[in-house]
Amino acid sequence: MTQTNVGLMAHLMRRAGFGATPDELDALLSCGYEQTVVDLLSPPGPADQGALADEDIIRRYHVDQNSLMLIESSQAYWLYRMINTRRPLEEKIALFWHGLFATAYGKLNHAKAVVNQTNTFRRCGLGHFRTLLLELARDPAMIFWLDNKDNHKDAPNENFGRELLELFSMGIGNYTEADVKACARAFTGWTIANPKYMSIRASRDSIWPHGRLDWQFEYLPQDHDHSDKTFLGRIGPFNGEDVIDIICQSPAAAKFIAGKLYNFFVADVADPQAIHELSDEFLRTQGHIGSVMRVLFLSDFFKSEQVRFARVKSPAELVAGTARLAGSHQTADWSIVDLAMEANYMGQEILNPPSVEGWHTGTEWVDTGTLVERVNSAGKEMGDLTRPGVRAIVDRLKGSGKTMSPEETVEACLLLLGDLRVSQSTRDHLVEYAAAQGDFRFETGAIDSCAGPRVAELLQLIVATREYQLA
Amino acid sequence: MSAANSPVYDHTIGFQSNQGRGFNNPVDLALNSRGILYVLNRGGPETPVRLPYKRVTICTADEEYLGEFGTGGTGNGEFWWPSSLAFDSAGRLYIVDEALQRVSIYDAEGGYLDHWGEGGSRDGQLNRPSSIAFDQDDNLYLADSLNHRVQKFTKEGRFLGKWGEPGDGPGQFNMPWGIALASDGTVYVADWRNDRIQKFTISGEFLGQFGESGDGEGQLSRPAGLAVDSTGRVYVADWGNERVQIFGPAGDFLASLRGDSAPSRWAQDYFNANPDEARARAESNLEPDLGVGVATRSERRREESANIEKLFWGPTSVRLDGQGHIYVVDSLRHRVQIYRWAD
Repeated sequence: MTQTNVGLMAHLMRRAGFGATPDELDALLSCGYEQTVVDLLSPPGPADQGALADEDIIRRYHVDQNSLMLIESSQAYWLYRMINTRRPLEEKIALFWHGLFATAYGKLNHAKAVVNQTNTFRRCGLGHFRTLLLELARDPAMIFWLDNKDNHKDAPNENFGRELLELFSMGIGNYTEADVKACARAFTGWTIANPKYMSIRASRDSIWPHGRLDWQFEYLPQDHDHSDKTFLGRIGPFNGEDVIDIICQSPAAAKFIAGKLYNFFVADVADPQAIHELSDEFLRTQGHIGSVMRVLFLSDFFKSEQVRFARVKSPAELVAGTARLAGSHQTADWSIVDLAMEANYMGQEILNPPSVEGWHTGTEWVDTGTLVERVNSAGKEMGDLTRPGVRAIVDRLKGSGKTMSPEETVEACLLLLGDLRVSQSTRDHLVEYAAAQGDFRFETGAIDSCAGPRVAELLQLIVATREYQLA
Repeated sequence: MSAANSPVYDHTIGFQSNQGRGFNNPVDLALNSRGILYVLNRGGPETPVRLPYKRVTICTADEEYLGEFGTGGTGNGEFWWPSSLAFDSAGRLYIVDEALQRVSIYDAEGGYLDHWGEGGSRDGQLNRPSSIAFDQDDNLYLADSLNHRVQKFTKEGRFLGKWGEPGDGPGQFNMPWGIALASDGTVYVADWRNDRIQKFTISGEFLGQFGESGDGEGQLSRPAGLAVDSTGRVYVADWGNERVQIFGPAGDFLASLRGDSAPSRWAQDYFNANPDEARARAESNLEPDLGVGVATRSERRREESANIEKLFWGPTSVRLDGQGHIYVVDSLRHRVQIYRWAD
């Protein structure tokens, strides 16, 4: 493993997934960067092979993760997916869309409805934006979340129509108030089945008598406003599909989605030229997200040293990425719900975002309270020599069969953690700590019994650094 | 399929409750000699506030609630991942726990008496023990799931024997779940990840197998609990296919049940107390056409069960009362659906 290309591959896997272990990085490096991008976008293997090898085992032992009725069970299930998926980009793009189309358990009282929405993101998240928006407009959780079940021909409710334009596809300044009203009218009659019964159950958080019932989309033509509408300068008896078509053809939507993708996958600070390139690809491919992502991952701006470690990891990225590195939670394990709680304490309750605007990202993830949670959580994982991923790192160092100086050990650990770039000050502190007990002896037949625990302690200290908080 | 070849739906017991009257993710039940039901609630997840969901509910088949005992935890008599229960001939109740790797023993009122078992892979040690059954001599047979074997113990926990090893050949297992004994002593094991049922003599000699992966008649997807009646018919909770299948003594397919539940008496009590919800429910279509949109047939079955309340969802166990009644533990719907043979 050489520093030259490890850094770039590790960067790709942090952004397109939830990081990679040293063994995974070795395998990916033998494939090469461009082939890895291809595989991320179109995972190899049988078409019917799921993203998880052991989902049946998870559902067998975690009976609560079989029904996905409770929020913490559903959060734990998603974290399990992030840690163990064979299709990391599928999971990452689902997290991206979940943040953009933020739909929260808190109003729905129905965790599986939000999980079902994330399944739509997995299925459609790298396809055409038009398909995704259409699925979203038909998604029962979204219909409930933004009150489209109350959007009637004779009494329009503008909530979904407004957020579709403002938060989901175009952004303020690219449409008028009249467009919002027309958009809402186009989605009248788009509702859920049995709205009265389901609303009563949701309002009293009813699990009775026999657990929650899934919701279904229903279109009621008799409740749809079939009259002409003027929307973004066009006139016609538009229905929801027509409105989505018009949105997806607009340069504003291309720029909006390009900006959101850049912010999530590249850097917290926008680069107008890069966003322009992504926007062009969006328009060229009629909004094909996979094509936009391919351009993004192969671009110079993505590969640039300038954007590496230029994003603050979200709590989900931090806990899933660290658990993946540590080799934790690879099969049924009741403590994974604790991991979900840790992400919650860090400020990201997946499946339950704070509002329709989603989470405030970047440096807003970190304050004095959440930083302590982040450090403790990551440190607990990587400081535990019984974790298979930690053990594997120690074994790699032992494999060198030689005595390593504190400086060499720090360098090796930083490289194995994905060529983590740290400041000179941080490096000096790490070396100072590592040097307290002298060299690390890994010679065959003369292995220092303390070397393993010392490496684990060093890893624990590394993941407590400022730099590890960055992706 | 004629009614004579298939059991008919009788009624449902149950109501989702976190404590008290009702169930929470029940995974198994046992009937004592007087026909009283002991329903094992696994609950979850394992957070402090939800640990009390784990308990045994005691009731009758007519939904008379008689009480409950137990709670989540790791102390004596407590449960973490309880998975199966059975009575010995003296009326003591044995509950096996997949997480705590032990069998705990209770009196008929739920008083804790003792426990035995420890984790490991040596003779007598356990690794995710999932199901237990007694023979007529009060020996206990245990599906030792992650050790991919069956172990035999005295009821006090003394190791008597074992058979099986990892694999998919005759007599081999891949994470077995359910175990049941026929009146002639034949041992049936639901070989979970091999999608088949295997038959053995009481001493572990392989007798045969039936079932294969799939969702057609006679095919299985991750079979869980199972039971055998006095005529040799085998009832399998076909967990991955969200159904129960019934086989003849030779493994020939006889019938399939997908679930027919109507609200239980406890459910009716709830609707009587919440008439607005009952009215809205009565106006609803509870059997919607789901169309398409999910990838595989097993996913579609699971989604059907999540949408249509009457269907089985995560059936984990089948038990018989010897009177022609079939009790299906309908885990994710927090209830037991009861069928009976028309004859």
